[in-house]
Amino acid sequence: MFETIGIANGVRLHVNETKQFKTVNIALKFKTGLSAPKAAARSVLANVLQHSNEEYPSHTALRMVLDDLYGTSLYIDAAKRGTEHIVSLNVETVNDQYLSEDGVLEKVLNLMYLILFKPNMENGLFKETVFNREKNVVRQRIESIYDDKTRYAQHRLTELAFPGHPASVPANGTIGDLDGLTNEALLAVYQSMLKEDKIDIYVVGDFDAEKAAAYVRRYFHFDGREPEQALVHGDVPQPEKERVTENEEMKQGKLHIAYTTPVTFRDERFPVMQLLNGVFGGYAHSKLFMNVREKESMAYYVSSSYASQFGLLFVLAGIDQAMDEKAIRLIGEQLEEVKNGEISDEELGQTKALLTNQLKEALDSARGQIDIFDQYMGLTDEFDADYLISRWADVTKEDIAAAAAELELHMIYFLTGKESEQRHA
Amino acid sequence: MHKLHFRQLDETLYHEQLENGLEVFILPKKDFSKTYATFTTKYGSIDNRFIPHGSSEPISVPDGIAHFLEHKMFEKEDGDVFNQFSTHGASANAFTSFTRTAYLYSATGQIKENTETLLDFVQDPYFTEQTVEKEKGIIGQEITMYDDLADWRLYFGVIENLYKEHPVKIDIAGTVESISQITADHLYTCYRTFYHPSNMLLFIVGSADPEEMMELVRSNQAKKEFPPAEPITRLYPDEPKEAAVKSGSIRMSVQKPKVLVGMKPAVTDLSGSEMLKHELAMQLALELLFGRTSDFYHEAYENDLIDESYSYEFSLENGFGYAMVGSDSHEPEKLAEEISSTLQRAAEMWPFGEEDLNRVRRKKIGTFLRALNSPEYIANQFTRYKFNGMDLFEVVPTLEGMEVADLQEAFASISGEQQRTVFSVLPNRKGQ
Repeated sequence: MFETIGIANGVRLHVNETKQFKTVNIALKFKTGLSAPKAAARSVLANVLQHSNEEYPSHTALRMVLDDLYGTSLYIDAAKRGTEHIVSLNVETVNDQYLSEDGVLEKVLNLMYLILFKPNMENGLFKETVFNREKNVVRQRIESIYDDKTRYAQHRLTELAFPGHPASVPANGTIGDLDGLTNEALLAVYQSMLKEDKIDIYVVGDFDAEKAAAYVRRYFHFDGREPEQALVHGDVPQPEKERVTENEEMKQGKLHIAYTTPVTFRDERFPVMQLLNGVFGGYAHSKLFMNVREKESMAYYVSSSYASQFGLLFVLAGIDQAMDEKAIRLIGEQLEEVKNGEISDEELGQTKALLTNQLKEALDSARGQIDIFDQYMGLTDEFDADYLISRWADVTKEDIAAAAAELELHMIYFLTGKESEQRHA
Repeated sequence: MHKLHFRQLDETLYHEQLENGLEVFILPKKDFSKTYATFTTKYGSIDNRFIPHGSSEPISVPDGIAHFLEHKMFEKEDGDVFNQFSTHGASANAFTSFTRTAYLYSATGQIKENTETLLDFVQDPYFTEQTVEKEKGIIGQEITMYDDLADWRLYFGVIENLYKEHPVKIDIAGTVESISQITADHLYTCYRTFYHPSNMLLFIVGSADPEEMMELVRSNQAKKEFPPAEPITRLYPDEPKEAAVKSGSIRMSVQKPKVLVGMKPAVTDLSGSEMLKHELAMQLALELLFGRTSDFYHEAYENDLIDESYSYEFSLENGFGYAMVGSDSHEPEKLAEEISSTLQRAAEMWPFGEEDLNRVRRKKIGTFLRALNSPEYIANQFTRYKFNGMDLFEVVPTLEGMEVADLQEAFASISGEQQRTVFSVLPNRKGQ
C-alpha cells in the first residue's frame, strides 16, 4: 500500500501512488511521549501554527490563500494514541488535472512550509495576541466536553477509573496545564517538536514516491534525530470506588462501564479481543444490540468498544434513569454468554465479515489509509489488509471465551438526572 | 439504460427508470473496493397530512411516524434485517429527514446479495401491534437522548421559532406522547402511500458493474407486483413569510451559552436548475458574509465572541428552508446583534464584487471535487437533488456561470428583518 523512504534518522516518508482520488492528501505527524502538560502545550501550538504566519500574518489572510487554492483543506490537530502524543498537519488539495490551473500543489507545499517553519512571531516569541487567543480557544474546547453528556460521562469515567495513568490523560491536556503555559514554554515545545519528534510524512495521490521525496526534501528541512523510545505504561490502577453515580440536569441516564484485559495491541491475542468486542457489542448483530435494545427495548444505543493500547473494553448505553440496575444485569448476562462460549457460528461469521468490511471500507478513503497504516505499521513490517483479515480468520469461539474469562470489571459509572437522587438516598 | 459521461469530473453515470416507476442510478468508482447503496423514498417527517393510497379523503397521522416506520422496516417475521446484512459482510443503516427516508448498506463484497436484501426488505413490510409496541421503548430512548443534546435543541429551537404552521417545526422523531398513538394500521397506510416504487430512487455507487447490477435490479423488480402508480397528494398549511417568534431561549445543563440567528427564506417555491442556481448563490453569499475569510468572522473570532463551535448553513426544500449562523458564546446577545447588523448592512449596500466571487467560487469548486471522493456524499446528495429536480453534476457548470448579481438576488430571500429569529440555550446554573 505505502512505499516507505527514509528522509533522515527518525523522519520517514510513506507514499501511496494511486489514481483512486481526485485529490492529493498529505499528512505530517509529529510524535512524542505523552504527558498532560505537553498535551496542553501542543494543542495550543497546533492552533497557533494554523492561525497565521510570517507571510500571512492574520487568520483571514491565510484562509484567503487556501480559498484561492481551490478550497484546499488544511488543519492541524492534536491527538493521543497510547503513550504517544501526535500533532498532525493534514492537507487535502484537488489534483491539478481537474483544474484549469497548474502548480497548485507547489503553492500548497510552500504554504505548509510557511506554517511549520515561519510562524507569526513578535520579539522572539509567538505573537502575544495570537498566543492568548488560541490558549483561550483550547480552554473553551476542553470546557465544552461538559455540554455533550455522552462525552462528559466517558471523560468522567476515565478520570475516575484510571487516576494518574496515561489512559486518563486528555488529548488537549487539562485546564490546569493550560493555565501554567507561558509563551516561552510554548516556543520551547515548538522547537523540540521540529527537532526531536519522530516524524512520519504521508502522501496519497497520483504521485510517485521519488517525486514526493524530492518535494519533501525541498520544502521541509528536517535533520536526523534520535526519537525517544515509547514510554511503557504501568498497570491500570484501581479506582477509589468501583461504582460511581453522578447527577446533572438531564433526562436520560448515561451508563458507562470499563473492563480491563491483559490483551493489548501488541499482544498475540489482539485479533481475538477485536472479535470478542464485535461479538459482544461492536455491531447491530452483536449480543448487546440484539438483547438489550431489540429484545428488552431498553436503549436506543448500547455498544462496546475496545481500546487496545491500554487493554480496556468500554460499554456505553443511554437508558431510562431508573433502569441502571436492570441494564447492568443484562449487560453482565451478555458478557457471561461470551465467557461461556455461547457464540453461534453465525455470530462469529458475521463479526469476521464486518471487521473485514470495516477495514476495507476505511481503506477507500485517503485519510483512512493514512490512519490505519500509521496505527498498524509498528505491528508488522509489511502491513496490508490481508494481514489482519487472515489473523481474524483463525480465531475460534474457544479463543474468544478464554479471552473473555480474563476480562475484569473495573468500574461502573452512571451519569443521571436529579430525580434519581431520592431513589438512591 | 442511459449512460452519461462527465468529462471534467471523470465520472460516468448510468440511469434507467423501470416499468414500475423506480428510478435507478449506478455510478462505478474506479479502484474502490466498497459499494454504497441507498434506497430512498420521497417521504419524510413533514408528510403528516395526505390522501392515503386508494382513498379520497385526507388524513392526519401522529408526529414521528415516518421515522417510526423506518425503524420498523428492519423487523421481519423471521428476524432482524441487520442480521442478514451482517451475514453478507455489509453494514446497514437508515435515516429519516424532513423530506426523505433512506435505507442503505455499504459492503466490500457480496454486492448482489446485499442489493437484493436492500430491495427486498424495504419492499416487504411486516408490522404487528406487538412489534410496534416494542419499538416505542427504543424510540422513546432515542427521543430522550436528543432531548439532552444541547446543540440539537438549539438547532430545532430555531426552526420552531421560524415556523408557525408548517410541519417542519415538528421534531422528526415526534414525542414520547405522539409515538404512543402509532398503530400497525397507521404504518401500513403510510407505507402504501409513500413506498410505491414510483416515489423511490435507488442509487448504487462504488465497485459495482453497471450492466450486471442494472439487470439484477430489473429482474428483482419484475418479480414483484405493485398497484398502478398514483400521484400523491400531500397537504401543507399556509405559512406566513415572517418568523413566527422573534426570540426565545431554554435553559440546560451547559457551561456556556449557545446562540443561533435563524433566517426564514422568502423564496421556497423553486425547483430544477433555478433552485440549483439559487441554492448555490445563497451558499456563496453566506460564505462571503460569514465564512472564515469574512470581516464578520475575523472580528467575532479575535474578540472572543465565537469559538470552534461556530457554524453557518443554509437548507432549502420545496415549501420551507432556513439559514442559521451562530456559536457557543459568552456574549450571546452581542453575537446575535453582530450577526443581525451584518445582515442588515449587506441588505442595504451589497459589499462584494467580482474578485470576492471568484475566490469563494474557486473554494466551492474545490470543495465539491473533494466531496466526490465520498460515495456517501454522491448517493445522498444526488438523491436529494433529484427529488428537487436538480442535477448534482450541474454544480460546477452552474458555479462557473454565477454572477455577483445572482448572489445579491439570492441573499434578498433571507435578509428581511421580519424573517429573522434568535434562539439560545443558556446555562441553568450560575458558575457552571
